[in-house]
Amino acid sequence: MRVLLVEDDPAISAAIGKMLERQRFAVEAVNDGERGLEHILRGTYDLAIVDVMLPGRDGFSLCRSARGEGVTTPILVLTARDAVEDRIRGLDAGADDYVVKPFDEHELAARVRALVRRADRPLQTSLSVGTLSIDPASRTAGVADRPLDLGATEFRLLELLARNRGITLSRAQILEKIWDYDFQGSSNIVDVYVSQLRRKLKAAGTNARITTVWGIGYKLVADTPKHAPSGA
Amino acid sequence: MLAFFFVDAAYRDAYEPALGTAAGNAAIVHFRRGVAGTLVVCDALLILAVGVASYALARAAVRPLTAAREREARFAADAAHELRTPLAAIASVAQAAREGTPAERAEALETIAARALRAGALLGDLLTLARRSDAEVLHLEPVDLAGVAARVAREAQTGSIALDLQLRGAIVDGDERRLEQLVRNLLANALRHARSRVTLSVAPEEGSARLEIEDDGPGVPPELVARLFQRFAKGAGSEGSGLGLAICRWVAHAHGGEVDYDGGSRFRAFIPLGSYASATEDGRAGSD
Repeated sequence: MRVLLVEDDPAISAAIGKMLERQRFAVEAVNDGERGLEHILRGTYDLAIVDVMLPGRDGFSLCRSARGEGVTTPILVLTARDAVEDRIRGLDAGADDYVVKPFDEHELAARVRALVRRADRPLQTSLSVGTLSIDPASRTAGVADRPLDLGATEFRLLELLARNRGITLSRAQILEKIWDYDFQGSSNIVDVYVSQLRRKLKAAGTNARITTVWGIGYKLVADTPKHAPSGA
Repeated sequence: MLAFFFVDAAYRDAYEPALGTAAGNAAIVHFRRGVAGTLVVCDALLILAVGVASYALARAAVRPLTAAREREARFAADAAHELRTPLAAIASVAQAAREGTPAERAEALETIAARALRAGALLGDLLTLARRSDAEVLHLEPVDLAGVAARVAREAQTGSIALDLQLRGAIVDGDERRLEQLVRNLLANALRHARSRVTLSVAPEEGSARLEIEDDGPGVPPELVARLFQRFAKGAGSEGSGLGLAICRWVAHAHGGEVDYDGGSRFRAFIPLGSYASATEDGRAGSD
């Protein structure tokens, strides 16, 4: 597993580097934003850890530029600010998760592992299902040139269904991939998000539909004019 | 001044005929002095009244600002006071370790790391408590409180304490990170005081997601009950920061809910359920 570490404080950089190496990651460390961006564009990494406060180009700018160039590498930002505006800024810029400084190395390791597990195989190309197109890099989805307004979790669910287009995913599989709840009872959270996505897909006028497969789960398909909308 | 002339002009007709006579002039002078005197006194009273009113209005207008400044000053004082403790430990331990054996140094480093992280957490908590507790500071989305509890329980260091989970799905409009913080703080307290077991349950009940946690320890000392959710309320010899429950209450209030102490060692949190009943049905039914 290769990790790109973009951190200008030498003490923290060395410490994170050692911690990651103990967890069997190969670490490449740079200490400013411009070189960080060059590396993430050129190389292939399983994960990038980026400090927000960097000389040259700040962490958010690095994320935005990387996503703009189609980079799908999961990005974890390190920040000293945890106010909600800062958290949302990070997500909007294209980061996948954040850790507040000072951090417990166990928390960092747990979030790193969760991100790597979520990433599957990084797909550079965009996905399409019927008239719906999804760009994993920029975390956007749209119908023709009209973008859908999706929250981060909604997008991840839609992307998961689109990557498995035509394949039925069980509620348990979806729960594990998206929510990591490890919840033995039944959670309706998947149903809630499916319902929200359905509403948005319908409003966008796409022929991509999430259908319920009774007793099993959900799948995303594209309706063609000849077939009746499959509801079961 | 002006008033004097007006009054004088008004009475001029009345005393005009008296002008010229010695008695009349004396009376007029006496009259004018009376009017002037009265008016001066009125003016003085008016100025006094306006002055007092202005002062009172200014004080009232400034009160929210002074209140805010007092809050900030209190926060800074609390932060400084509380952060001194772990920082002092770090300084002492680091200095002592310079001359120590490798084993002593390794132990010192563990202590330093732990205290530094505690200082960081404390600072984060104090910053949270310094903010308004309402929904605007939250990043809201549908969140299953039972799922959050399951994840927090899985990651908790339970040691030898048995953790008994009874979870039923309960979806709220919530800020996942903050709700994790709430559950983690309640669970940490329970684990700290438990003898052998902690029970944690989540279920929807009458419009709220209800979380209940109980440990089999000695419970809250009576003298602490009244101050339980205040900042820096700590039991004797307790290791916590004293902010855990204050944070729980902050998070609950920001979500429009509540946290309370139910006697013994039972704590409850209520977070309003999101209005997703129809969404759940729609999701399952596959209608689109």
